[in-house]
Amino acid sequence: MHSAVISVENLSFTYPGASQKALDSLSFKIAEGEFVGVTGPTGAGKSSLILCLNGIIPHFQQGTFHGAVLINGCDTFHTSCAELARQVGSVFQDPEAQIVAPAVEEEIAFGLENLAIPPKEIDERIGEALEWIGIANLRHRSTTELSGGQKQRVAIAAAIALKPKILLLDEPTSELDPIGTMEVFEVLKMLNREHGLTIVVVEQKVNILVEYVSRLLIMKEGGGACDATPRQVIAQPALLTSVGLKPPPVGELAYRLKLKGLYPGELPLTVGDAYLGLAESLSIKGRA
Amino acid sequence: MIKVANLHYKYQSGLEVLHGLSFRIGKGEFVALIGQNGAGKTTLLKQFNALLKPTAGSVGIAGLDTAKSSTGELSRKVGFLFQNPDHQIFMPTVAKEIGFGPKNLHLSKGEIEARVAEAAQAVGLTRYLGHNPLLLSKGQRQRVAFASVLSMQPEILVLDEPTTGQDYQEGIEIMEMVKKLNEQGHTIVFVTHDMELVATYARRVIVLSRGRVLLDDSCRNVFYHPEILKQTNLFPPQIARLAQAFAGEGLFKRPLTVDEMYEEILALASRPEGAKNVCCS
Repeated sequence: MHSAVISVENLSFTYPGASQKALDSLSFKIAEGEFVGVTGPTGAGKSSLILCLNGIIPHFQQGTFHGAVLINGCDTFHTSCAELARQVGSVFQDPEAQIVAPAVEEEIAFGLENLAIPPKEIDERIGEALEWIGIANLRHRSTTELSGGQKQRVAIAAAIALKPKILLLDEPTSELDPIGTMEVFEVLKMLNREHGLTIVVVEQKVNILVEYVSRLLIMKEGGGACDATPRQVIAQPALLTSVGLKPPPVGELAYRLKLKGLYPGELPLTVGDAYLGLAESLSIKGRA
Repeated sequence: MIKVANLHYKYQSGLEVLHGLSFRIGKGEFVALIGQNGAGKTTLLKQFNALLKPTAGSVGIAGLDTAKSSTGELSRKVGFLFQNPDHQIFMPTVAKEIGFGPKNLHLSKGEIEARVAEAAQAVGLTRYLGHNPLLLSKGQRQRVAFASVLSMQPEILVLDEPTTGQDYQEGIEIMEMVKKLNEQGHTIVFVTHDMELVATYARRVIVLSRGRVLLDDSCRNVFYHPEILKQTNLFPPQIARLAQAFAGEGLFKRPLTVDEMYEEILALASRPEGAKNVCCS
């Protein structure tokens, strides 16, 4: 285990006037290079958690804050958002709401200019960020004419250009069609594997999470209901159903078949896995 | 009930987003409208209550030509439920919120009360009638918005991404209410990116791509055309993709849900010649 880059210690947060805690005695650590999916029913505290990790809570959102959040050892309570922004990049739900510039290139330059980075380096970083995300061809395009998936990838490129060690995303695909969703997760996988970024993504679509992440944090009523690998979660569908989430269909199918002795080996995380398992079970040779 | 004929729509900027759509939706149908971001789904829905009017071609709603009808007139025929309930809630109590539409129809006090009671009952909000809707939970607020639509007793119900921003449980609760209305004869049109939801609820699917109808068929026929869906950034639900992977073996009929495929596999496993084929570790 690498050292923890995110450490959440007995964190509680209550919004002003709220009767219930949004976050309630939450504790966990995330090591460098992990790819963590956070899911749970609405009101479980997922977005509040993201706001605590990038320092917006407590710096810009009032409320009652207990416990501690450490990012690379820095206590967010005593570290400004601007300093945290050098370590933590954030991408939100609605790409429209976070894209401010008319052209892709300017959008990516925006954060860099705010950090007073010299123009030559800004130029290099824009090129590099677009290259990493695989959208170098969009550099001179207008942000208004991009598809939803493209806009969200521009938002990720803008976050990446600041060279954060950690990337936080709050429901980055909720407005996107299925292929746009996959495009975003492919980019996250690449950033995680090839560039070693630690990624924390809040997502309602359990199907896609189990396919991509290495660890799932399931939240309920402000606390952690479960912290497990995708395979552990698929093997115990009750972990999802007990908090009102739906297990991925191929996982559920294989789980039910396994109870009847009709599914061999590990439960599948993807349609491809399920094909191999079923082909074995049904003794189909050839393509399996 | 809905008749769209060679519908073109051009925004004021000159950008044409609908390029000649034609289809009819009959009374009591349950239709999903799907397609990539920017396919024109929301632009199409806005034609149904005359928020937008055709640039060319026509849209008929329950016999009314939308080009000659106001949004107010159409609101008696078509109810809209949006993604975010807070965009459509503004009255101080649940009862007033639900009664707002009927009141504007100048119905009698007794009729308004009867409609409010009926709509609140349908969504399970009877005991919240005196509450301030904005102090209810999000799932309850979505029910308030839903009841406000029901109290207008529209023949057609249009839902734009009704489950986005909701968790799975809340989404299912809404769709179950919609299903019940459909069983009572209401015509349903809903837009979503959630293909599992489409597979569970829709009987007919209209696939839009770049302002044109790409496919218009039964749910099953649509989801077994993955190559066409891909053109509009969609893919079939997991179960259809899994069954499709076995297409060469001709093993499966065309399942869409876990239950359907599970039953098919059990049947395969219990066939006499299947028994020796099915191994398991």
